[in-house]
Amino acid sequence: MHDRIVRSLGVTALIVLVLITMTHVTQTGTPAVQAVQAQDAATPRTPWGEPDLQGIWSVELLVPLERPDGTITEFYTEEQVAELDRIRATGSVFGNHVRAERGSEADVAGAYNAVFTSQRPTGRRTGMIIDPPDGKVPPLTAEARARQTEIFEYEAALLQNTVVCRDDLDGCIGGTYESRSPLRDEQPPHYSTRNINRAYGPEDRSLGERCMSGNLPNFRGGFAGIHYRVVQSPGTVTIFYDVGQGQGFNRVIPITDDPHLPAHVRQWWGDSRGRWEGDTLVIDVTNFSPKRDFRGSRENLHVVERWRRTGSETLEVVSTLEDSTVWTRPWTVIQDFARQPEEPNRIYYEPRCHEGNYGLPGLLVGSRAEERAFAEGQGPDPATRCIAGCASPEGRDPLALR
Amino acid sequence: MRNRVKGSMLGAVVAGAAVSAVIAVTVTRTAGQVQATRPARTVDDKPNFSGIWQALNEAHWDLEAHEARSGMVMQEGVYPFEFAQVPAAPVLALGAAAGVPGSIGVVQEDGVIPYTPEAAVIKQENNENWIDRDPELKCYLPGIPRAMYMPYPFQIVQSTNKIHMAYAFTSTARTIHLDTVEGPPDYTYMGHSVGRWEDDTLVVDVTDFNGKNWFDRAGNFHSEALRLEERFTLMSPDAIHYEVTITDPNVFTRPWRISMPLYRRLEPNMQLLEYRCIEFAEEFLYGHLRKEPLVTRWEGETIIVDITRKIPAGDALYDWYRK
Repeated sequence: MHDRIVRSLGVTALIVLVLITMTHVTQTGTPAVQAVQAQDAATPRTPWGEPDLQGIWSVELLVPLERPDGTITEFYTEEQVAELDRIRATGSVFGNHVRAERGSEADVAGAYNAVFTSQRPTGRRTGMIIDPPDGKVPPLTAEARARQTEIFEYEAALLQNTVVCRDDLDGCIGGTYESRSPLRDEQPPHYSTRNINRAYGPEDRSLGERCMSGNLPNFRGGFAGIHYRVVQSPGTVTIFYDVGQGQGFNRVIPITDDPHLPAHVRQWWGDSRGRWEGDTLVIDVTNFSPKRDFRGSRENLHVVERWRRTGSETLEVVSTLEDSTVWTRPWTVIQDFARQPEEPNRIYYEPRCHEGNYGLPGLLVGSRAEERAFAEGQGPDPATRCIAGCASPEGRDPLALR
Repeated sequence: MRNRVKGSMLGAVVAGAAVSAVIAVTVTRTAGQVQATRPARTVDDKPNFSGIWQALNEAHWDLEAHEARSGMVMQEGVYPFEFAQVPAAPVLALGAAAGVPGSIGVVQEDGVIPYTPEAAVIKQENNENWIDRDPELKCYLPGIPRAMYMPYPFQIVQSTNKIHMAYAFTSTARTIHLDTVEGPPDYTYMGHSVGRWEDDTLVVDVTDFNGKNWFDRAGNFHSEALRLEERFTLMSPDAIHYEVTITDPNVFTRPWRISMPLYRRLEPNMQLLEYRCIEFAEEFLYGHLRKEPLVTRWEGETIIVDITRKIPAGDALYDWYRK
């Protein structure tokens, strides 16, 4: 069994390498990555006549959600892409090429990332956000800012007496080194979906550590990227999401103009209703659960996705996000997907993070052991330790797969 | 709804042209007096399995025939006999809602699962330690065939070279490949499904299991050597005859077979709702590791259940007792 895993990892690595090389060539060889309006005749169709969105789709290029500061164009030139790839390959942006001091906590935290992260060539888009025109997430409403401040203050309070703040590391999230906060023994001001610096129970840990990070919308998919399997039948589209390292899920979209579920019925993945507008599948998603969080947006999130084929091997998904309690205006994100060959079937259908989740109970057991040891005068105050991802080179909470 | 109607009507027309002979078309009347047609065959002239389905039987409790009992978990009563057991603490407060319905069983031929003597011992231990051992209670991926007859609906999305099955339970899924694909790189909970048509029957070979699943809540189990041959045949547009031949030489002395109908969920607005049970199982799995446990009595990893049943004020029966 072990051999099989190792062998398959090897094969996967090889395939990834080949794919990266291939996309790289394609990318630099053909400049036409811009969204060109698909002609009806060019759209592949299912035998029953609907646009055909089926196949295994993955994101092949690195495009940040927000356009970097100082960049004003929507696309890089090919020269800029080549230069960015060169810098990323040699510089510190490639997290898996940088190693922290050997034996340090950061080194151990980084080792996991180096094995499991995949790196993609730079895409021509400077950012995924195409509206507002500045490529940035719109400003938060006053209400959302206040909520975010409360959450940050609480999270910072639990870090203020740790080594992270003592040594002024990134993970201190701007706090100062002070004595233990009384907030440590109070509940967070809002339902927490992120790691806070304690492990009193499962709810203190992030959705990622609880194996529930696979949520909508999904623009990053975590370190391992995004892979979809789309299957259609007349009147139904189903999408299996391979995201978040085994935290995938399945989504079924009925093509219907029936109304959404009753407002009090809430779901982690919301309630999806699809319709065809020409060759575009438009999915309206509401009824989200307050237990999930996308950049501060919870039960009031409304997403409209537009899925369409842009070529024989490409798919585009444009998502408009709206939540007037969080953002001052709606905003729109574009994702470009490349079709993967069917025969190798390289998609991980098993969201089995939970079945192998030794991390979460391990953290809880360890925290109880540290508390006992401290009570007996045998160890440091557990409150001085950082267990919220602060030790990783990228700063706090890199595993929050949002 | 209107689009769905249009889509399937188009399907019916195309299929009609292709196989002009006998086409059974069911007609459902929806709330808006629209006549929705559900073609019995797909445009590529295969039986149409697309839709939301659910088993309507007791196989999820026990594949074999069994009589009804008063509690999901039982303990010895005032008599030493097994037939005189009473419900045990974990379910006692649930009264008659905690029982298990009887069943004529779904195991074919002699109705008995042919365990090897060693495996029969393990099955018995599984049964006696159900709540400690059953992967369903931990919300683990249910595996095949168990996912097919759990008490939750599932949806079949039938395309031409892939047939996808999406299960409400833990939002899992499997893709049945009718085309040539490589197998998975590792053993799996849900198996690797490869299908083919034998006339109007969909035959699916399922392999590459990791051996961590059970068949039901009675402790029936298998190893990683499990191989399945599933056969799906339409009995009517709204019922599938589902049959599985189960082979696992590590556990059974010979292949054996289960069979049951799967029924279409006919509600006009039926949709698959999520059952994200990872969260539901957290207290069960990790409750003893909380700094301040919510359950009052954990002894190590064991939940000691204290039951408080409150008699509601104004309850006619209890008021009568008190007189």
